[in-house]
Parts: sequence; C-alpha cells; structure tokens
Amino acid sequence: MGLSAQKRFRTIVSYFILLFWSFILLFPMYWVVITSFKNAIDMSIKATYMPFIDFQPGLHAWRYLFVDRLTWFLDPFMNSVLIAFISSTIALLIGSCAGYALARFDYGGRNNSIVLGFMSQRMFPGALFILAFLVMFRELGLLDTRLSLIIVYSSGAIPFIVWVMRDFFEGLPIEIEESAMIDGANRLGVLFRIAMPLAAPGLVAVFVLSLIGAWNEYLVALTLTFREAITIPLFMTMQVSQTGYTEWWNMSAISLVSVIPVVAAGMALEKYITGGLTFGALKG
Amino acid sequence: MATEPRIYPSKRSRFEIRDNYWKWIFLLPAVAIILILLAIPVLWTLYAAFTDLHLYRIGDFDTKFIGLANFEKLLSNRSFWRTVRNTVVFMLGVVPAQLIIGLTVALALNNITRGQKLFRTWFLMPLMVSPVVVSFIVGRMLFQEDIGPINDILRNMGFEGVPWLTSPTWAMVALMAIDVWQWSSFMILMLLAALKGVPPDLHEAARVDGANQLQGFWRITVPLIMPITMTALLIRIIDAFKVVEIIMVLTGGGPGQATESVTLAIYRTGVKGGDLAFGSSQAYFLLLVLMIFGGAYLVMTRRAMGKD
Repeated sequence: MGLSAQKRFRTIVSYFILLFWSFILLFPMYWVVITSFKNAIDMSIKATYMPFIDFQPGLHAWRYLFVDRLTWFLDPFMNSVLIAFISSTIALLIGSCAGYALARFDYGGRNNSIVLGFMSQRMFPGALFILAFLVMFRELGLLDTRLSLIIVYSSGAIPFIVWVMRDFFEGLPIEIEESAMIDGANRLGVLFRIAMPLAAPGLVAVFVLSLIGAWNEYLVALTLTFREAITIPLFMTMQVSQTGYTEWWNMSAISLVSVIPVVAAGMALEKYITGGLTFGALKG
Repeated sequence: MATEPRIYPSKRSRFEIRDNYWKWIFLLPAVAIILILLAIPVLWTLYAAFTDLHLYRIGDFDTKFIGLANFEKLLSNRSFWRTVRNTVVFMLGVVPAQLIIGLTVALALNNITRGQKLFRTWFLMPLMVSPVVVSFIVGRMLFQEDIGPINDILRNMGFEGVPWLTSPTWAMVALMAIDVWQWSSFMILMLLAALKGVPPDLHEAARVDGANQLQGFWRITVPLIMPITMTALLIRIIDAFKVVEIIMVLTGGGPGQATESVTLAIYRTGVKGGDLAFGSSQAYFLLLVLMIFGGAYLVMTRRAMGKD
C-alpha cells in the first residue's frame, strides 16, 4: 500500500537535501572563482554575481600573481611544497614501519596500548606546543627555517599514520610474508617488497592526508616562521594585514592557487581518503 | 590475535634473533620522535607554568619558581574566562549543528544509489581546504557587510544587512557558520560509514513485525550507529575547543574580545606577549579540559579495537 510511492518520495527528498547541501558547499567556491576575475570597480558599489552579465571578467588578478609578483609569491609556494612533501615522506616512512611492526610483532600484549599512546596526541592542544616549540627552536637556532616546520609536521602526522597503517597491514594476508621469509628474505625485504606494495592504497591515503595537513597548517607556521620560511597560509594572512584594505581579487587568486592542488588530489583519491579519514571508526 | 609469524624449526634461532632486531628498529623511531616532540613540550610547559618565565628573559638565569601564582592569576583573570566562555559557546553552537546536518545528509546519501559516489566526493572538498582560506572566502568575502553577497541577498529580500563582523553576537555566528561549512562533511562521512554498517535486513524484519520507519530508526539505526557517532562527536568537540585559525583570519578575536578563543588567548599571551609562564598555565587549563573528552575518545577507540 503506497510503499513504492513512499519510497519515491523519500528518494526525491534525499536528492533535494543532497543538492541543497552541495549548493551550500559550492557557493563560496563559485564566489572565490568569480572574484578572482573581478576588477576593483566590480566590487566597489554592490555585489556582482554573474560574469559577463553583472561584470566584465578580467585576468588582471592572475596576471598580478603569475607575472608581476611571481617571485614574491613563489618563495612561500615552494616553501609549502618542500615542507609538505619532505615532512609527509619522513612521516610515512617512520609511521608505516611502526604501523607494520605493531601489526606483525607482539609487544608483550600491549600493541593496542602503544597505538592508543600514539593516538592520545589528538587531545593535546596546539596552543601548548607553540609555546614550547617557540623556545625549543629558538634555542636550537631554527626559528624561521623550513627544517623547524618539517620536524613539527612530520611528528604531527606520525600517530595518525601508525594508527591507519597498522589496521591496514593487519588486514593483509600473513602467508605471503611467511613464505618469503622461509625463502630467506628478511623483515626489511618483506616490508618493502611485499607488505608495502600490497598496502599501497593505505599508504597513498595517509600520505595525501598528511600532505594536506602540512599544506594547510597555520598556527605553528605563524609561531615559528616570519620571513624566509613562511608557507602559503601565512603568506595569505600577511597580505591582508600588510595592505590594510583587502584586494579581494588578488586574495581570491592566491586562495585558488593554494586550494586547487590539495582539493584536486583529495577528490581524485576520494575512495582512499575517505577510508583514511573514517578509519578505525569503521570497525566500531 | 596472533600477530607473530609462525616459526619453522630448522631456521628458528637465526630467524628469531634477526626478527627481534627488526621488531625494535621499525617501532623505535616513531616512539622516540613522538616522545621527544610530545613529552618535552608537555613537561616543559608544566615547568613553565610554575615559573615566571618570559620569552625576552630566557637565558638570564633569573627565572624563579613562583608556585601556583600563575594559576591563581588564571582563576581571577576575567579576560581569560571570557575566552573560555567564547570557546564553550562556539563548541555548543557548531557541534550540534554539524551533528544534525551530518545525520540528515548522511541519511539522504544512504538512501540513494545513483550519484552517491559523486556527492561523497564533492562533500570531501571542504575538508581539504585550509581553515585560513575557508575563513577568508566564507568569512571575509561572503559575510562582508557592504558588498558581500549574503547581506546583498538579504537586502534584496527586503531585510536589513546584518552587522556580521561588527556585532559581537553576529561575529560569533559567522565564525560558527564557517566551521559548520567546513566540518559538517566530517560528520557526514563518518555517519555514512556508520549507516553502511547497519544490515538492511534488520529494518526488513522490523517492518514485518509491524514497526514503522520512525521506530525502526530509533530502535535499530540509532543504537547501531551510536559508537561511531560518539567517536565523531568527541573528535569534533576536541577540535572545536582548539579553534583559532578561522578566528585569527576573520575577526582577530573582536569586536572587543567577543570572539577570542582560549587558543587565541594563549597565542597572544605566550607568543605575542612573551609571557610564557602565564600562557603555559592557560595551555594547561585547556589540556585538562581536553583530557576529559580525549579520555572518552580513547576509551571509544579502545573499544573499537576490541581484540588483543
């Protein structure tokens, strides 16, 4: 009795909800894209919504960013790239080795406790670390260096990688590794030749997630760097405070340059990333 | 769970020795790094909280232990409690909103088949964007009072423009909106994962037994998704207590002190102001609060692990 009609109604309502939320997520992105093609005049009187109808789009913000001020933008961009890639690589190497060890060896029955020890990092506030890091890196003479951020970001990503990769390695069949060891392979060979390739989807997920984390981090970068080693988020906020008034179009272009690589990477690897983000909880 | 590989008699001794070696080589670097970069700051901050340490006087060797003076100052510091209140208000605003949006959208997503992957991919987007950019785009551009689209649309509909950044209340609302925009996706994806774990035949059986959909939802779905929901909520509560970046970019804590969070206060006291001692005592206060939720989070995670 009306079951299929009810079902159709539910489907329609579902799509309506999904489209509505998609629109909420889309609008700011649409806005930043069109703003990057606006001129000062398009924003001086009232809001303008439609390119070619409300306003004549121009490339001057993009020219400003990539031609006029390229060198000035390139430094923070390269800093971000280097810091994100190096710190994620280090974290991946160290974190996945530990994840593998916790999946395959027995540490006196305390494997879960060790993993939880790593996970407890989540509850420590960043505010606590910035004070200590400021003093630590000042004493080490590492303030305003990329190295300081690489150290902080790789250590920040390790717990999460240990957690996710341990689960991932545990899900792999142990028989292949055993037979390789009988054939004379040692653990290092087993890990890098057999387990790591099999765990590639998990490795990709945690690597991209830690890349994104390092790429987007602000508070520590703000505390530890100020000129030479600044990253894109810091560069952005500096632009606002330096000019006093906001050049919306230029800021929009910078935002897009900083957002597009990570969003593209994240969405292209959606399957793995969502798995990484919700991992562990899935087993609950 | 048997995690140790089976050992074969002929190669036993060589195997065990060499494997024992790797067991520690693989684990120790991670443990060492986390201990150094977690334990040192945590202990150092505890030390600093009991001294009169100041950034500009480090190395002068005249740092004194002043006992609980920083904590006494903390308790009577109205401006600090104001930031605590702001942070709690922020958390109480964003977390329920994210739960409601997350559950609604996740249920809708679980209800459809065509296009599910597309929506899931799109919903991942805000989680990839840095808080600085989100705060800039959503906050500064959309909520801009004169020419921002939100006020423009409101005015076109015949309302007054809202003083998003100049009114204490509305500035807090704008910050909450930014956080909800960004982090609802986390709830959506977590809850979708939870909903996918609910076996459909349970609902089928309940319907045969005469339960309606609402009863099915409350009696079957809700209990089954509860553990993941709790974990997701705890993660969001912890993160909401740490809020700082979006505030720095949008309001800088203003107008006045109306949107200053605890973390922003600590940054201002300790890093900007150089008062490491007082900043450390504030950081410890925040840590103690987070440990309550963090402890619950660890218990939930431990339960999810089950075995071992």
